[in-house]
Amino acid sequence: MCRNSANKALRFILVLFFPILLPILGPPGAALAGKDLVIGEIDPLSGHLAQHGLEIHQGILYAVAEVNSRGGLAGRQIRLISRDDQSRPEVAINQAQDLIFREHVIGLVGGYVDSLVGPVSELALRYRVPFVASASLQSGLTARKNPYFFRVSCLKGIVQPLCGFLGQTYKAKKVAVLHVATPGATEFAASLKSCLEQTGQKVAVQEKFRPGWPDFSVLLLKVKQAGIDVLISGGFYADNLILVRQIKERPLGLQAFIAPWGLAYPSFIREVGPGADGLFGTCAWNPGITQPGTEQMSREFVAGFRQQFGEEPNTTAMHGYTSARAMLAAIEAVLQSGAKPTGETISKALASLDLKLPMERLAFDAQGDPKYYHHVVVQIQQQKMVVVYPPDRATGQVDFSLARR
Amino acid sequence: MKLRPFPSSILVTAAALGLMVWPLFFPDAFLYFQVLGMACLYGTLALAWSIYGLSGAVSLGHAAFFGLGAYGSALLNHYWHWSPFLTILAGSLASVVFGLIWSFFFRRLRGVYLGLASLAAVEIPRVIIDNWDSLTSGSMGMTGLDRLPTLHLGDWQLAFGADLKAQYYLLLLLVIGATFLYKTIIDSRWGWALRALRENETAATMMGIRVNRERTKALLCSSYLTGICGGLYAHILGLIEPSLVFSLHVSALPLIFTIFGGRTLFFGPVLGALLLYPLEQLVFQPLLPQGHAALYGLVIILTILFFPKGIAAWITRRASA
Amino acid sequence: MSITAFPWPQIIVSGFALGSFYALVALGFSLIFGVTRAFNLAHGEMIVLASYLAFVLWKFCQVPFYLTLPVCLLALGLLTLPLYLLLRRLKEPYALNTLVVTFGLALLLQNLMLVLFSADYRLLNSGLSSFTIPGLGLTFSWNQVVLLLLSLLATAGVHLGLHHTFLGKALRATIQDQEAAQISGINVKSMSLIAFGLGGMLIGLAGPLYGQNMYLYPLAGAEATLIAIILTIFAGVGRIRALLLGGWLLGLMESAAILTVGSKWRELVSAAVLLILLYFRPQGISFRKPG
Repeated sequence: MCRNSANKALRFILVLFFPILLPILGPPGAALAGKDLVIGEIDPLSGHLAQHGLEIHQGILYAVAEVNSRGGLAGRQIRLISRDDQSRPEVAINQAQDLIFREHVIGLVGGYVDSLVGPVSELALRYRVPFVASASLQSGLTARKNPYFFRVSCLKGIVQPLCGFLGQTYKAKKVAVLHVATPGATEFAASLKSCLEQTGQKVAVQEKFRPGWPDFSVLLLKVKQAGIDVLISGGFYADNLILVRQIKERPLGLQAFIAPWGLAYPSFIREVGPGADGLFGTCAWNPGITQPGTEQMSREFVAGFRQQFGEEPNTTAMHGYTSARAMLAAIEAVLQSGAKPTGETISKALASLDLKLPMERLAFDAQGDPKYYHHVVVQIQQQKMVVVYPPDRATGQVDFSLARR
Repeated sequence: MKLRPFPSSILVTAAALGLMVWPLFFPDAFLYFQVLGMACLYGTLALAWSIYGLSGAVSLGHAAFFGLGAYGSALLNHYWHWSPFLTILAGSLASVVFGLIWSFFFRRLRGVYLGLASLAAVEIPRVIIDNWDSLTSGSMGMTGLDRLPTLHLGDWQLAFGADLKAQYYLLLLLVIGATFLYKTIIDSRWGWALRALRENETAATMMGIRVNRERTKALLCSSYLTGICGGLYAHILGLIEPSLVFSLHVSALPLIFTIFGGRTLFFGPVLGALLLYPLEQLVFQPLLPQGHAALYGLVIILTILFFPKGIAAWITRRASA
Repeated sequence: MSITAFPWPQIIVSGFALGSFYALVALGFSLIFGVTRAFNLAHGEMIVLASYLAFVLWKFCQVPFYLTLPVCLLALGLLTLPLYLLLRRLKEPYALNTLVVTFGLALLLQNLMLVLFSADYRLLNSGLSSFTIPGLGLTFSWNQVVLLLLSLLATAGVHLGLHHTFLGKALRATIQDQEAAQISGINVKSMSLIAFGLGGMLIGLAGPLYGQNMYLYPLAGAEATLIAIILTIFAGVGRIRALLLGGWLLGLMESAAILTVGSKWRELVSAAVLLILLYFRPQGISFRKPG
């Protein structure tokens, strides 16, 4: 009798476990699905970074569609599997594992902010799947050599122009840096601070806040009390929107407001309206702001993008596009050499890549950082972005009176 | 209800053997190595939680120990480059220290209020680590931690860090060891003392049980084991961030697994983890990619309503009926 | 006197507005807990749910913001009915079981809201601007004024209701001593139902205001729950005025913390306050003895 009921219990456990076992017994799916090349994308498609995540997603979609429409790579179509990490690192890890183990992707692209990119880069190293991050800054990620991790952006490309711009124009006595508590933004604040202090500009207030902080009024009070000349926001789109609105409600006597991320966007200018005039932002690319010599390529990108999505691309979408282009070019190089596209071959091809793209000439250094990534500083004048720094790419002059708030 | 150890021990041994043997037939099922390995880690976490739970405490803050173990281990590895196994064992002492502070400050708290205090207690190490930039890199998290090392046994290599199968066996071994430990604790005099003070503290005091001492001992054991889980997690991932290890999710999982599996039986917490975690990861995640953790919420409500003693008690009851 | 030299008036203003809102958030929790002894860890999630309801009405049905308040009030009042039925089935230890079940409910609601509304951050905008009092240089936003007024109204309403109506007196009797209330002929079960209904309506009132003052996202509820618990423990149940006082204190402390030690330590304030309260009051919430 005892055995009989033990059987019952085992049967019960089997019933519970059965759905779990189904995939192991059934066909492994993606691996045998056909001759499509499968690459994975992990992006914050929802959550507080969704705005930028979706833009990167569009850029990647466009790059893949572009390749597939001209017949794929060496006759093989590319299949993109996109996953949402909800702007949370634990979800990003989960999704990356799922892409690697279940979908057997040969490469990973995408990612916004380092708290989401970092974990995926570790998984990439561990399971030898090359990962080209679209937006990542933290130097720790590339400091220790990770042959499977590449990125199309880096911190230096933002801090240097910003610091140079401030040193040349404002020479501010007191600077405040408010930044979100993400790894990249935290490092940005520290790195900018040391750069500014070399040129004798003092960072008097440095505060960090959670992404999605709703009310800056007390922080701004602190800024006002310290008598700050230049306020630098290391926040993202939504943070800057609120900051700018609250500064408008309570003027601080600032000489300038600068935000490297989330400000140099047409959508931002549309949302804030005339109040956006005079604000400074930085960007790597925008329609009309492109690397010299790639105007034609940019125009085609803008036209194709507009056709596919019905809207203008922006700098974030360009980052997504650039990262996907790098991955696709590397896979193509592997296929053309007759080798099998594996993690090793693709990352070797990535390391020796040299592409000319609208955002930058793309080649990776030994650490996987881009060699030629540079932002330009723009000022919004009459609802348009005007490049004011560096001088060789400037399209206009800084309007100091407009910048005051 | 009298426990019948015989059938449940057989079941558990059979299950453990099954978990050890199946990889021989499916040597390439990496997804399963990964998911079941993590289930074993969370099973150990649930057992650690249950050691404290034996004394009647419902902790909603074990993420504090998990995170401190992870950071303790990561810091030792980062600054002094100790080998991961050593850092995990030594770094988890940070959790024990926090456990000592916890048991001193919360010594007069019971039941619901202990639960609430534990919920708030997670914030303290989290905010401090998040803001102590010079030591812990703050919100940047710590990257580039060493992987678990490779063990050479003659010609046989066990690459715990690089090979998912080896990692799975390591975590399986951990959970089997922890289950054995938990069973020993339950069957020991100390285990009975703990349960006595869960049932009726006044009566237990009358019988000469030193309430605070026993409860503190249980918490220290629990926090050390939780810290080890955190350390392992840090080195398995190779990177940690405050929001990753001090999350509500980490606090919730052991509670959910234990309550689902069954609080009264020694294998309950592990059973809960081994059933629920793969179910959530392998079935619910593909079905409902956005809100797959809803499963946990639903399970916990249904369990409390319909099987207050957990699924393990139900199985053994059926098995021995 | 310029504000740059002396920012405290501004701090006090934002602290009071925030604190009144905190009191409003805690009101429903305190009422439900007082009458039924049920610890509702899903409190914050229910506020967020009400907030999403208001958001949907406001954004997609073009309902003016202030009209969403009565709708949410009614909807949440009805929604607490299933919660009441669920919690009624729980066995001893009742408080601990409600804690665990509502913890599960919180997880469930969070994830359902993730599916329904995605993890995006949203903000309800009532379209009000700010104004400055000329002589003092103090800046108010109309939101703060509305918050202050509504919170004061709600707390005053609940206070008067509890003290000056027959039903309120019966509720207070149940809060103070369930058994004695039962002996005096008060139907404790229907009192529980009423408490859940009223608590739900207060949650419904707090919801839209929450979405207007904080970012709305599915995981936002935990902080509101924590605040409700802290204030309830601070005030003790049935003490509506003390709840308001506690809210103001907490609001002021948080605002002051941001200004003095920096925003990064703000999150420690509420957790530390709760731990300190519990250290000195280990049996948690004090129930007022009659007489």
